[in-house]
Amino acid sequence: MRGDGMNGIGAAQVDEAIRLKHRVEQFLFLEARLLDANAWEEWLRLFTPAGMYWVPRMRGQLDARTQVSLFHEDALLRSVRARRLANHRNWSQQPPTHATRTIGNVSVTDPGPGTIVVRSSFQMLEWRADNPRAFGGSYTHTLREDPAAAGSFRIEMKRVDLVNCDAIHENLQVFL
Amino acid sequence: MYTNEQLADMIKPDKVHRAVYVDPGIFDLEMERIYGRLWVYVGHESQIPQTGDYLTSRIGRQDVILVRAADGKPHVLYNRCPHKGAQIVPPGGGHVDRHFRCPYHAWTFRLHGPMLSAPLRAGYEGTAFDPADEAFWLRRVARVASYRGFVFASLSAGGDDLVDFLGGAKAAIDNLCDRSPVGEVEVAGGVFRVWQNSNWKIFYENLHDTMHAAVTHESSVVAARDEYEASMAGQDMPFVLHIMAGNGEPYQFWEKLAVHAFDHGHGYMEGIFDPGGTDRDPTSRAHHESLAAAVGEARAREILGMNLHNTIIYGSGSPHTVFQQFRVIRPVAVDRTMVEIVTFRLKGAPEAVFERAVTYANTINSPSSNVMPDDVELYTRVQKGNRLDGGDWVSMHRYCGTDRDIPGGKVAVNGTSELPIRNQFVAWKALMTEGGAGCGGTA
Repeated sequence: MRGDGMNGIGAAQVDEAIRLKHRVEQFLFLEARLLDANAWEEWLRLFTPAGMYWVPRMRGQLDARTQVSLFHEDALLRSVRARRLANHRNWSQQPPTHATRTIGNVSVTDPGPGTIVVRSSFQMLEWRADNPRAFGGSYTHTLREDPAAAGSFRIEMKRVDLVNCDAIHENLQVFL
Repeated sequence: MYTNEQLADMIKPDKVHRAVYVDPGIFDLEMERIYGRLWVYVGHESQIPQTGDYLTSRIGRQDVILVRAADGKPHVLYNRCPHKGAQIVPPGGGHVDRHFRCPYHAWTFRLHGPMLSAPLRAGYEGTAFDPADEAFWLRRVARVASYRGFVFASLSAGGDDLVDFLGGAKAAIDNLCDRSPVGEVEVAGGVFRVWQNSNWKIFYENLHDTMHAAVTHESSVVAARDEYEASMAGQDMPFVLHIMAGNGEPYQFWEKLAVHAFDHGHGYMEGIFDPGGTDRDPTSRAHHESLAAAVGEARAREILGMNLHNTIIYGSGSPHTVFQQFRVIRPVAVDRTMVEIVTFRLKGAPEAVFERAVTYANTINSPSSNVMPDDVELYTRVQKGNRLDGGDWVSMHRYCGTDRDIPGGKVAVNGTSELPIRNQFVAWKALMTEGGAGCGGTA
């Protein structure tokens, strides 16, 4: 009884939760590194084939079919964006966008089984053509264990809720 | 400061002086003489369905409130309390019960502007304060008119009525509404608002500039084509790729498009994407069937057969009939323009038609569009380049001298003609110079 702390959760379960959080964090940091490096093709491979990337236009938006979105991209559209960013006549990427993303407040809000839901906060500093911009908000990742790489994940859904989703935006060209 | 003669000299039949894009003094004059006179789109009646519903909007430099008043009609008021000048409502939309109440000192006003009351009226006894005097009302803009739910307002008491002003461009608003089986549209799905760091006229000129499409948009055209070849060669190209790849049509394609220019700077061009493929596309087929059931097969074919790409309503923006949107263009500074992209639902049409409009807006007009950034980049480069002393004139020579007259406007002999740009500057010159001396005393 005495060793049974943490509201009835045993030490073994705490250990498992910490390990899961650590694995999730390592995955999120890897993802951020790929995005920061503009390594779009590698980033695309983090998704499951049916995976979605969604940046709602509205706070608390539930529907992407009948409400507009800042991004709502399946594998096809993500690949088109990556191809355009790599095209040598992408006038709006001359010079290219560079950005750095910092992730914190990582918490596993649904440990599964099956899919794992992870919520984190992010801040992103972007720089292009003498124009700095700041973005921030929350990431909600729905992850699956990666069958091809033990201990890692694939993304079923990456939802990005910007604090300034309702701003008047200039071009948003790179994945957030 | 410019005389009318100097302003007129900046607009030649085949070229314009670069100052019209970069001189803040000319922008100031445009706000007075163009946006102070034209009918400008302020919003749609579906955005204010109930009495007391309001929406903030803008005409030139004037923040205004579009409100449905007790008479059931849309009214447009300056967003200024006559007491201390505070803006009476914050930006956005909302609802008030029966009257506006200023949050500073609680002066209240009827929804169409007249003053209702001010606290502690005894303090005004023996003064010139008079609630019946319009000086103590929320000021109404000079003219308001609604055409099929589209509300326009003018800061000027004189001039053409709205229908005469719209002229040939009225057909595009009609066609947008007629695509609904009940003949009505409503704003739905949320709006995008995006910045362009360039003069407002550059965007208007681009709307019918068919020579830029394959060049400016090469990156998104090639990306869409390559993706198609890599992942689905031989199948029907999906809608989201089709609307990106379409910019890459060869010059012969653009040369054949019909381009109409109407009085007051308006115009429209023939559609790029063929929505009449009703046999292939289930969404178009369902739309056609719902419309034919309401208005008959022949009329449905006529309505859906009017395939327009961008329409220009000069000073307001660009409706797109086929994909049910209105890109509202708001000049903010000589080098800064806000574009609001509004999507419409066709009342009574299958929901898939609306979902397609949302997909179009997401793909083409979102700030994250793969298509628009290259446009916006080029507009910025035009803005920056025209600040230089590398030459004073901007060319619009293409097919100059060949335009053919039609009732209320002109038609281009070739789809790549710069007629639409020349036509916009005919309107610009008339507004900026006719009677300009008495309009602000800046001449």
